Formats: sequence, C-alpha cells, structure tokens
Amino acid sequence: MPFFRVIQWVVWKDLISELRSRETLSSMLFFALIVILVFSFSFAMDQDAAQQLIAGIIWVSFVFTGIIGLGKSFSAELQNDAIEYLQMSPAPKGAIYLGKMIGNLLFMLVVEIMLFPLFVLFFNLDIVEEIGLLLLIFFLATLGLSAVGTLFSALTVQIRAREVMLPVLLLPLAVPVMIAAVEATRGALEGQPLVIYSQWIELLTIFDIIFTVVSFWLFDLILDS
Amino acid sequence: MMNRFIRRIQRFKGWIGAAAALCIFYGLYLGLLDSPPDYYQGEVVRIMYVHVPLAHTALLAYGTLFVGSLWYLWKRDVLVDNMCHAAAGITAAFTILALITGAIWAKPTWNTWWTWDPKLVSFAVLLLIASGYLMLRTFVEDPDKEGRYAAVMAIVGGIDLPIIYFSAEWWRTLHQPLSISMRGVSMSGDILLPLAIMSLGLNLLFIYMLMIRTQMLYLTNLLEAKKGRLLSHAHLSHTSS
Repeated sequence: MPFFRVIQWVVWKDLISELRSRETLSSMLFFALIVILVFSFSFAMDQDAAQQLIAGIIWVSFVFTGIIGLGKSFSAELQNDAIEYLQMSPAPKGAIYLGKMIGNLLFMLVVEIMLFPLFVLFFNLDIVEEIGLLLLIFFLATLGLSAVGTLFSALTVQIRAREVMLPVLLLPLAVPVMIAAVEATRGALEGQPLVIYSQWIELLTIFDIIFTVVSFWLFDLILDS
Repeated sequence: MMNRFIRRIQRFKGWIGAAAALCIFYGLYLGLLDSPPDYYQGEVVRIMYVHVPLAHTALLAYGTLFVGSLWYLWKRDVLVDNMCHAAAGITAAFTILALITGAIWAKPTWNTWWTWDPKLVSFAVLLLIASGYLMLRTFVEDPDKEGRYAAVMAIVGGIDLPIIYFSAEWWRTLHQPLSISMRGVSMSGDILLPLAIMSLGLNLLFIYMLMIRTQMLYLTNLLEAKKGRLLSHAHLSHTSS
C-alpha cells in the first residue's frame, strides 16, 4: 500500500468514526468547559491577576483536554480488537503513526479553536491584531503534544492502568512544549514585539521536528504484536 | 544455564565495591575535614562535595539507561534489559538524593529551598521520567513488550532532557537572572581533588549497585522461568497419569 494513501485512510477513518459517534470531541469540549469554569471561579474576581496568568490557564486547559483526546485515540481501537488488525496490517507502521498523529492534531485544534473565544469572553482579552500569530503558536505547540502523545497513547493503551499512565509519562516530556507555548502566548497576548518571543516559536518548531521523527521511528516497536 | 557475564560480575563486584568505599571515605575526609572553608560560603560549601558528585552520578546512571536501551533495541539481549531496569532505579535514587542535598545547600546560600533554576527543573523532570519508567515496567505483563516499551520511554526521555534544560534556561534568564554562575570561576586544587575523588567513588558505587541489581533481576527472572517450567511439567505429568 502506498505510504501516503495509508496516512489518508487512517485520518479519514478517525474523522468518519468521530463524525458518527462524536465521542472524543464532545468529551474533550465538556471537560474543557469545566476546566475554564473552575479557572474563572478561581481568578475572575481579580482581573489583573487573571491577565497575568491567562497564558498559563489557556495552556493548562488545552493540555489536559488534549490528554483526554489522545487517550481516546487508541483506546477506541480496543473495541472489536481493532488494534490487533492495526498490528497485523501490512501497511507501514510509520504511516499509521502519522495518520493517527494528524487525526489527534485536528481534534485538539478544533477544540482549541472552539474554546479560545470563551477565554476571550471570560477573561476579557484583546487579541484582534495577533490572532494569526496566536493560531501559529497553537498549531506548533499542539503538533508537539500530538507527536509525543500519539506515541504514548499507543504505548499506554496496551498496558494496565492506561488512564493513569498516559499523563504520568507524557506530561514530564511535554515540559518544553508547555514552557514555550505559555511564554509565546503571553508575548502575543501582551502585544510584545515578535523579536522578544520568537525564540519560543523556534523552540516549538525544533521540538516538533525532533519528536515527529523520533516517534515515527519508534512507533514500529510499539505497534508490534 | 547461568550467563557468563553474571559469573564475571560475581567475581569482580567485591573489588569494585571496596574501591568505591575507599574513594568515598577518602573523599569525605578530604572534603569535610581537610579542605579549607569557602571565602564566601564558609563551612556550608562542604555539602558541595556530596551534592555535585551525586548529581553527576545520576546523569551517568541515566546515560547508562539511555545507551543500554538503544543497545537492547538493537540486540534484544535480556541481560541488557535487566541492566536498564537496574540503572533506572539507581537514577531515581541518586536524583532524589541530589535534589535533597541541593535543597539543603540552597537554603543557606540562596535563602530558599527551591528555585526555578534550569538544573533544578531538569533534575525534577529527570526524577519524574525515571519514576515513570519504573511505573511503566510494573504495568506490562509480557516481558518482551516490557523491555521494548521501557526502552522507548528511556530513549524519548533521554532526547527530551537536553531540550528541557535549554528551555528552562531560557525561561529562567527571561524572568530573573541566574542566582549563581560558575562561568569564569576557576576552582583551585584543594577543592578539585576531593570533588574528583568523591565523583570517582560515587561512580564506582553506581557500577557496584548496577552489578548487584542486574544480577538480582536476571537471576529472579531465571528463577521465575524455571518455576514456570517445573509447574507446567508437573501439571502435564499429573494429567497424563
């Protein structure tokens, strides 16, 4: 099977089954709404404090929501032992990884784009000029999370205590993404000149490239019967 | 059939342990009693002779785990997998000790137990990665899968650690200048000698611990396998009679 066709099929399969069940997106959205509500109860009384912390609040909710989506990505394959067919399939495992990774990236981005207006609403943000840059930062950071997260989703789904182990393994490794995403988002929201925070965007790009390549290479070892 | 490496470990480990003990006692004597107190920090500086070698040994242990994991994925040698398992536990132990001694040293010199220094952040994350690795190993039933998954975790963590260090360094310099900078400070011989001997001692201690732990894990697995074979044999002979 041609490599790119496999990627296309895996993405298409995930999108179709999501359109039919709406399980992943609805659970991610609902969870994220609760996180935003909890944060606004904790900080909304003090607008100044909220402005200081908003970049961190945004990324904590995005990352936790992303973990829910990443966990669902492969646990959905456990139904009807679909994961065994993925393991036995002659399709290149790297292509399956890239397809899953793109699917996760799309789900996470959709949720982020739906949530961001709520942050603007609740925390009274001023974002009109920097919206393109913010979207770029969201894309790069989510790609990094999805690159490592897809690998560990496939890994943890095949062991015991999988719901606990995904965040336990993923979050420490995602520390650079978190730091870079928060700093870049803060810079963009505060309207600082791009030179001050462009290094974080570069760091995100480097992280994305390294971990897409490494995970692509290691995925063979994870999805092997 | 016992592996010949295990036999060799059995023969040499005592010597390595004795050399480690010798170096550590001599290094402690030099560092705690013989070396002069620091011009700025006074007697407090003496914890450095324990803290810095501990931190270096923790990194050596993770380096061993990283290289061992690559080696395991290449050769699929069970003994190498056991060595990785052993190295991960020792990494966690030395990292905790380095963090604790670091906090004790930071309190009188920086006037705080904890600060978001890049080294501290990296060691805290290293501890999380090593404990995640150990947890992962307990949750996989199949031994072949256990070795593979654990190696993947160790390799991804090893590639991530330098990135974590650099991002924490940028992050730190952005918010607040570094509390202490060792750049441009040359260490004199009476500081360097005890540090070098303590480092050597703790590195030898790491090798000694690694040998014992690897041997133990290997023999435990061998015993489990033998027990399984005996049980199934007994079961077969019982059903056939």
